[in-house]
Amino acid sequence: MTLADCLEAYLTRHFGSPTIVEGLSRIPGGASRETYRFDAVIDGVTRPLILRRDPTGSLIDTDRRLEYLAFQSFHGRAPVPEPIVLEGEGTELERPFFIMSRVDGGAAASPFTVQPYGAHAQAIGEAFFEVLGAIAATDTAGLPLTEAAEAPAPDACWRVALDHWAGVIDADEQHPQPIVRAAIRRLRRDPPPPASAVRVVHGDYRTGNFLHDGQGRILAILDWEMVHLGDPLEDLAWAIDPLWGHYDDARVAGMIPRDEALAIWSRTSGLPVDPRALAWWSLFNAVKGQAIWTSAAREYRDGGFRDPVLAISGWYTARRHDQILASQLMSLEGLS
Amino acid sequence: MTPSLPDILVGNFMCVAEAPPPESAGEFMAGRVAVVALLSLLAAQEAERGIAARVWENSAIRAALVEAASYGAGFAEAASEGDGDLSMTALDRVNAALRRALISLHEAVEAAGDTARDQAILRLYRDMAHARRLDMPPLPGR
Repeated sequence: MTLADCLEAYLTRHFGSPTIVEGLSRIPGGASRETYRFDAVIDGVTRPLILRRDPTGSLIDTDRRLEYLAFQSFHGRAPVPEPIVLEGEGTELERPFFIMSRVDGGAAASPFTVQPYGAHAQAIGEAFFEVLGAIAATDTAGLPLTEAAEAPAPDACWRVALDHWAGVIDADEQHPQPIVRAAIRRLRRDPPPPASAVRVVHGDYRTGNFLHDGQGRILAILDWEMVHLGDPLEDLAWAIDPLWGHYDDARVAGMIPRDEALAIWSRTSGLPVDPRALAWWSLFNAVKGQAIWTSAAREYRDGGFRDPVLAISGWYTARRHDQILASQLMSLEGLS
Repeated sequence: MTPSLPDILVGNFMCVAEAPPPESAGEFMAGRVAVVALLSLLAAQEAERGIAARVWENSAIRAALVEAASYGAGFAEAASEGDGDLSMTALDRVNAALRRALISLHEAVEAAGDTARDQAILRLYRDMAHARRLDMPPLPGR
C-alpha cells in the first residue's frame, strides 16, 4: 500500500466516514519531521491538512507530544494551525505522526537569502515580535502544554537549558570544538539573573519558521518541536541571533532595528529586557545552535549522507555559529 | 571537521541517486536538488581553501601551545606532531589532537586568571572561525 492508501484507511476510521486523500505531496523544510500536504475529502467536503510524520528511527516520543500540545495551547491565541489528531503509536503509517489543518497562501523565507521580506520587512517585523511577546505574555496555567512540560524554577531556567544543550554536544560531537567549549564555560561562570517569569518558550522562533502572505501579514507560526517552559528571553535571543539576520547588519531577523524589536517584545509581553540577561541568552543561543548543528552532522553521517538539509546544518551553519560565538566571546571581554 | 568535504560530495550523490516515492517526487525533490546545488557551491570554496585553512590552524594552535610552556611540558609535546601527508583526513586527525590540547590549555589559563593569554586564545578562536568560514552567495529572497 502507498502512503496515500494508508492515510486514507486511517482517516476513514478516524472521521468515521469514507475519506479520500487527494494531492498527497511531501514538502521541503525541517529535518525533524517528514511533512506532507494533502486534501481529505470527507462526505464531499474538502479539508486542507498537513501530516507530520516522525523520520525513521529518530526523535523521542515526548518531543512529538509536546509539539502537538503546543498547537493545542496556542491555536486561537496566536496564528497557529488547528491540531486535528496525534497518533503516538502510528502503526498505520509505520511511524508516529500527527495531523493539523493547513494554512494556504503563505510562504516561509529561507534563512540564507537576502531581503526576503522586501518592502514588507517593517510590518512583518512588528508582527513577528508582537506574536513572540504575546506567547511570552501567556499565563501557562491550564495550557494543554503543561500536561507534559515541566516548569523549572525561575533561577534554574538557565541551568536546565545549558545542561541540556551542553549534553547534546557531549553526546554527538565528532570533532573537538574549542570555541563552543569556551562559551559553555563562560556561561557557567557568569549565569544570568533569574527569569522574570517562567513562560512558554517556542524553542525555534525565527525567520523561516512562519508563513507570511507576502503583504506584511503573518499567517502561521510553525515548527514547535523544541517547545518547553523556561525563560522567555531564550526565544527573544534566538529570534535576533545573527545567524537569522539575512546578512543584514542594520536589522534583526532581516526585519526591523534591534531596539525596536526589543521594545515591541517588552510592550506585548509585559516583561523587561535586562541587557545582562539578554547577553547571556544570546551567547547561550549560539551554543544551542552549535549543539543542534553538531547533532545534524552526526545524523547526516549515521543516515548515510542522504539528507542535504542535515549537511547544510552540520556544515555551513556550524561554521557560521563558530564565527558568531567567537565574536560574542570577544565582545564580552571588550575586545574587537 | 565533520562533515568532511568527501562526506558532502558523496552525500550529494546519495541524495539524488535513489528515485523518490511518488509523494516526494515534486516540490520536495525540487527543494532537495536546490540544497544539493548550494552544497556543491560551498564545496568549491572548501576545495579551494580547506587545506590552507587547516595547515594555518594547526600551525597557529601549535604556536599557542609552545608559548604556554609555563603551564606544563605536555602542551609543547602535544604540538610536536607534524601535519603528515597534507590530505584533509591527515590534517583533520592532527587537528583533533591539537584542538583537544588547546581546550585543555584554555581551561588552565582561565583557572589561573591569566587574562592576557585568555584574550590571545579568544583572538585565535576568532581567526580560526574566519579561516574556516564558508561564504554564502547573495541568494535573493522570494
